[in-house]
Amino acid sequence: MSHLLDRLNFFRSKELEQFSNGHGQVTRESRDWEDVYRNRWRHDKVVRSTHGVNCTGSCSWKIYVKSGIVTWETQQTDYPRTRAGLPNHEPRGCSRGASYSWYLYSANRVKNPLIRGSLMRAWRKLRDTMQPVAAWKALQEDPILRASYVETRGKGGFVRATWDEATEIVAAANAYTTKTYGPDRVFGFSPIPAMSMVSYAAGTRYLSLLGGTCMSFYDWYCDLPPASPQTWGEQTDVPESADWYNAGFLLLWGSNVPQTRTPDAHFYTEVRYRGTKSAVVSPDYSEASKFGDIWLNPQAGTDAALSMAMGHVILREYHLDRQAEYFEDYARKYTDMPMLVRLDEADGNLVPGRLLRASDFDDALGEDNNPDWKTVAYDEASGRIVTPNGSIGFRWGEEGKWNLEEHAGSAATRLRLSQVLDTDHDEVVGVRFPYFGGAASGNFVRCDHPEVLTRDVPARRVTLANGEEALVATVFDLFCANYGLDRGLGGQWVTTSYDEDMPYTPAWAEKITGVAREKIIAVAREFASNAEKTQGKSMVILGAGLNHWYHMDMNYRGIINMLVMCGCIGQEGGGWSHYVGQEKLRPQTGWQPLAFALDWNRPPRHMNSTSAWYAHTDQWRYETLRAGEILSPTAPEGDWDVSLIDYNIRAERMGWLPSAPQLRTNPLEVGKAAKEAGKDVKDYVAERLKSGELEMSSQDPDAPENWPRNLFVWRSNLLGSSGKGHEYFLKHLLGTDHGVMGKDLGEEGGVMPKEVRWHDEAPRGKLDLLVTIDFRMSTTAVYADVVLPTASWYEKDDMNTSDMHPFIHPLQAAVDPAYESRSDWDIFKSIAKKFSEVAPEVLGVETDVVQVPLLHDTAGELAQAEVRDWKKGECELIPGRTAPNYVAVERDYPNLYRKFTSIGPLLEKLGNGGKGITWQTGAEVRHLRDLNGEVQEEGPSKGQPRLETAIDAAEMILMLAPETNGEVAVKAWEQLEKPTGRHHAHLAEGAHHTKLRFRDIAAQPRKIISSPTWSGIESEEVCYNAGYTNVHELIPWRTLTGRQQLYQDHLWMRAFGEGFAGYRPPVDLKTVTERLNDDAPDRAHVVLNFITPHQKWGIHSTYTDNLLMLTLNRGGPVVWMSEVDAQKAGLVDNDWVEAFNINGALTARVVVSQRIKEGTLFMYHAQEKIVNTPGSEKTGHRGGIHNSVTRATLKPTHMIGGYAQLSYGFNYYGTVGSNRDEFVIVRKMKKVDWLDQPATGKVEAAE
Amino acid sequence: MTDRTLKALSLLLSYPTAELQAASPEIGDVIAGDARLTPTARDALCPLIEWLAQGEIYEVQEGYVTLFDRTRSLSLNLFEHVHGESRERGGAMVSLVETYRAAGFEPATSELPDHLPVVLEYLSTRPAAEAQDMLQDAGHIIEALGERLSRRGSPYAPVFTALLQIAGARADREAVAELLDQPDDDPADLEALDAVWEETEVTFGPDPNAGCPQVRDILARMDTPTTPASVTPGAAE
Repeated sequence: MSHLLDRLNFFRSKELEQFSNGHGQVTRESRDWEDVYRNRWRHDKVVRSTHGVNCTGSCSWKIYVKSGIVTWETQQTDYPRTRAGLPNHEPRGCSRGASYSWYLYSANRVKNPLIRGSLMRAWRKLRDTMQPVAAWKALQEDPILRASYVETRGKGGFVRATWDEATEIVAAANAYTTKTYGPDRVFGFSPIPAMSMVSYAAGTRYLSLLGGTCMSFYDWYCDLPPASPQTWGEQTDVPESADWYNAGFLLLWGSNVPQTRTPDAHFYTEVRYRGTKSAVVSPDYSEASKFGDIWLNPQAGTDAALSMAMGHVILREYHLDRQAEYFEDYARKYTDMPMLVRLDEADGNLVPGRLLRASDFDDALGEDNNPDWKTVAYDEASGRIVTPNGSIGFRWGEEGKWNLEEHAGSAATRLRLSQVLDTDHDEVVGVRFPYFGGAASGNFVRCDHPEVLTRDVPARRVTLANGEEALVATVFDLFCANYGLDRGLGGQWVTTSYDEDMPYTPAWAEKITGVAREKIIAVAREFASNAEKTQGKSMVILGAGLNHWYHMDMNYRGIINMLVMCGCIGQEGGGWSHYVGQEKLRPQTGWQPLAFALDWNRPPRHMNSTSAWYAHTDQWRYETLRAGEILSPTAPEGDWDVSLIDYNIRAERMGWLPSAPQLRTNPLEVGKAAKEAGKDVKDYVAERLKSGELEMSSQDPDAPENWPRNLFVWRSNLLGSSGKGHEYFLKHLLGTDHGVMGKDLGEEGGVMPKEVRWHDEAPRGKLDLLVTIDFRMSTTAVYADVVLPTASWYEKDDMNTSDMHPFIHPLQAAVDPAYESRSDWDIFKSIAKKFSEVAPEVLGVETDVVQVPLLHDTAGELAQAEVRDWKKGECELIPGRTAPNYVAVERDYPNLYRKFTSIGPLLEKLGNGGKGITWQTGAEVRHLRDLNGEVQEEGPSKGQPRLETAIDAAEMILMLAPETNGEVAVKAWEQLEKPTGRHHAHLAEGAHHTKLRFRDIAAQPRKIISSPTWSGIESEEVCYNAGYTNVHELIPWRTLTGRQQLYQDHLWMRAFGEGFAGYRPPVDLKTVTERLNDDAPDRAHVVLNFITPHQKWGIHSTYTDNLLMLTLNRGGPVVWMSEVDAQKAGLVDNDWVEAFNINGALTARVVVSQRIKEGTLFMYHAQEKIVNTPGSEKTGHRGGIHNSVTRATLKPTHMIGGYAQLSYGFNYYGTVGSNRDEFVIVRKMKKVDWLDQPATGKVEAAE
Repeated sequence: MTDRTLKALSLLLSYPTAELQAASPEIGDVIAGDARLTPTARDALCPLIEWLAQGEIYEVQEGYVTLFDRTRSLSLNLFEHVHGESRERGGAMVSLVETYRAAGFEPATSELPDHLPVVLEYLSTRPAAEAQDMLQDAGHIIEALGERLSRRGSPYAPVFTALLQIAGARADREAVAELLDQPDDDPADLEALDAVWEETEVTFGPDPNAGCPQVRDILARMDTPTTPASVTPGAAE
């Protein structure tokens, strides 16, 4: 706007005045231009809400509303302030969040319920004359009608529907599936409950009342670091971001804090002003790299080599040549290092075996409760073997001794770390350690050291209960040998020189990673020296860059070892900060009853998604990795070289992993039959599993009765973002056009799996119905049969927590949901209502039989001290012990809606709890009855507290959770005092009368209360830090030894060579084949390692189809490449390229940058194919997404169960969807074809 | 109701239902009798009315959803085309709602206030001069949408021609051209799309004071006046 007309050019007013030393001026000109600002600040109300994509930010925002329309948003600045000396949290927020309100009214929005036109046509025709379930049945049983919509998935063709009609189709499909195949064939996938926990719970509550399958996300996203449960028995627990400010040395490793943790990054900046030093490990010159005082750029995927070399230096200088007193003390008290390991003999050679247990000794060392789960060590004073308190055997079946006091029973003890002194060992023996460096493929450095390295270890001879003599060594001594450290004991493969090229020296790591040895040594020294001076204030922030590799365990354990060696875990300003995936649902125990309907029936059906998708998208049929390729050369005798799916089937059979579906027979039929036979379901199922009359579904995933039939996807973009093996999803699960270029094992003539039934013809289109609930037309919505428009983050009431800060936040309905959309809570409520109306056509009150694996944090974690397979006759089939458990659950289908909308009676009857402790919660249910009101209508819910609205649901969470109800926190701590025998309630006593309500957190973000669910505390003295209560309250870690478990002694861990951490190069997935490039062998191309980091213009807080964010980058999918590789492939910046392998193809523009290290291709995660993605020359279909060239590959060690910390828990342990070991061929596209011409009369996925 | 033609055009742009199908002949009659439209314009609307009346309902609906619900460049929300996802959009919608309220109406729809059928229904109740004014203000959007639809050979294109005739004035050519410059999901425009996203090459040295070419471009773009904010009298700030 020009102000020329308003301004005097030739005169100066005599009235002109100045004030404030000339900074202010009085004018007489028109000031209309200010109206823009006045209008902006004119609003009816300001509402607090936040953004819930998958962001750990959890930032509070002010949403400005005028006349019922959201006009804009700004950052909130009213966080409770931190304690003195610590910077405040605010302002929190980033450009992605700030661009969010623009989504609300965007043309991208889904406005009405949408149904695939061909489905609607068939449905209405049948429905004219039939009841809903009968109509759906007729539709499914007519192959032509079914194919008419299944095959057009992803090709447009939607029509609008009313809510009534849309929910009726969904309800009829669910009822038909439940009746025909079983309720466990209804799957639901939704990730990250913490980001909007009520919306998550809405769907899983419906599924859990139905008996449907709730799918996990954390493991599937590969954000779960299995090393965390392996080491600590904890899914993930991390310091809050404010604790970075307490660190003395910060090591950023594969995490790009300024880019992906934007609202927290200021703590990282600020602490550098305090003099904290920072080292950044990142292969590319990332945004974080420039913050580093030192930058290490290893080849992507070789991080374990780097951390092992650093560990080598730290052990040498701080534990061996000189023993740092603090480190020694910490190692003795808080780690498994003093525990004794039996050395097993095979063919005259020794290998590390199991940790010795009290039961191995005469009279079980006086332990009569769980002696086979109590580990042993030498007491320094007496020289005797003792059973120190705290191991997992003390957790169950007795009280008072599950603690980390330096006691063995009532006697004080001091455990011996090492037997290196001549007086402490009987002999020095050669022990075999596997070495995998020779297995490197692709462009990873292969070394020529042998695959077994025998190193000398000091050992004692002991006599066991059975009279056998055994050699035993401490974990610490084996640990040092594993690092290749010469301790003057002689022997091979150990050294005192950092410059010798021997596994785990800095010189060796330099060869593998490309990082100079001096840098490795310098960082290791500074890290340890700071930790010694500050008692543990060295911290590692690590992330997806390390965790998304097949051998992520090694990447993580190498770093965890460094932290544990230096006593950093559980110390403020120190520790392990894994910020990948938003796992911290702080009021978890209040939320679980809501989410899984535990107030009405228990247990729910939980499934680990990786195994499920691997089976049901038939990725297993194309498996290129054999277990034999990753097996340890030191593995004990056994039937190890089988297919990865065989391992999964064994794991399910032994009760280690869950199954979905569970049994080939409809569980409602099983329940009925058991009742008719007059038998307990457990016995009934056990008998018939043995006889073969019943069969687990996992054995035959391609049989039609074992397909998942209905799938709900909400709060998620499964197909556009997290679906590893995207093209396999399209081909087999959805049955539509796909880009899979590889052949399956049958066609290839590969080695067939043993345990699974092979069908020559793989099914296409297993799903009867895909329902996507979203507010934007995501890739998943484009492929759906029914799209339901949901409320966005300024249109619903919900709650949000994060691991990055200790506050709990609301999302609030600033305005009503736009167009026809409804909140997730209201959507599932209306589906529940419709289901209850439709169900009586075929369903009444039924007995469902639910299969449950052996669960972590229950006595079931002590089920299998040895690996025994009932199917092979190695043991009896005992449900809940040698196999999964089977539990009868009553389902009242006609009353499902009444149950959905009220809080059931089981909380008062059975109490509530989590992570192994249970408390009475009758008082809280009473309070909820007063707060939410009581159900008046007749029926099973009469007199129960109401649960009508999302706010009612939020109140239920807040009331039941110790984190938001001080009274519950005190009760919970008191329950924990029983097993530990120590006083803990003091941690919450001050907050006894604090009870947060939804309106409280709407007024201001509130800090949560310390609870035994988590290992850190909220206090005025320290920041939240994981492991804090283990170290300071002496509460054991939930592991076998009760201590940080650096040695994994499970049979499968040893077989796969992961007893100790080590370096394992990325696996060879063989997805780049000669044949693939046959169409143009002479065209310039380059083969690169394909990795998918998080980006600046999407992911957290918003999606990649946001026009504003697209404008900031290149407006469509891009891949990043080094200048050297670009030259090899004849590419220049901004060229269109195609990247492909046997899994599929993707198209993108190339960004050529000096930032990228040679050999790698970056594609930022979750760039969808709905925006500016042309067709692929290879597949002839629209270029895929980043997951078009990936495929999930399972790892057997992630399947272990029934074994202390290695026991299943939902989103806690299980197979993970790694995706970074892939290679792709990259070449320039000849012709960019946008595929806008309707090829088959319909446009393809993108519009 | 004073202007049945505007109401009829509002209906033609609404989501097709069985009820709309049944009313098609009546809509046809109203349009046939409006002398403000040229005979060519009236004839041009026949294929659409016929398609609505006789087409298989699911095909008609699928066609509508694909065109107007799923294609951003054909969105019937007028502000999509002038404010896009910018911060002004909320404010502009507020003004429009206030215009409706001032005229004694409360929006009773799940559609947003700037949805073209909503605007047209409102205008059908207003004096002709006011309706013309408002249509003229939105003329460039209407013309651009019509142009895009006719490139696709869509029978919906003549509705926009008719609206321009009722507006009684040509839209601002420059504004239309600017809108049409925006990327369309149409094959013919994809070259243009490439051009839009293309960035200037960064060159380093030898003259360190030469400035950053991207900044220069941004500044140049800032010098160009942006699209006028006032699309309708109600939306003027």
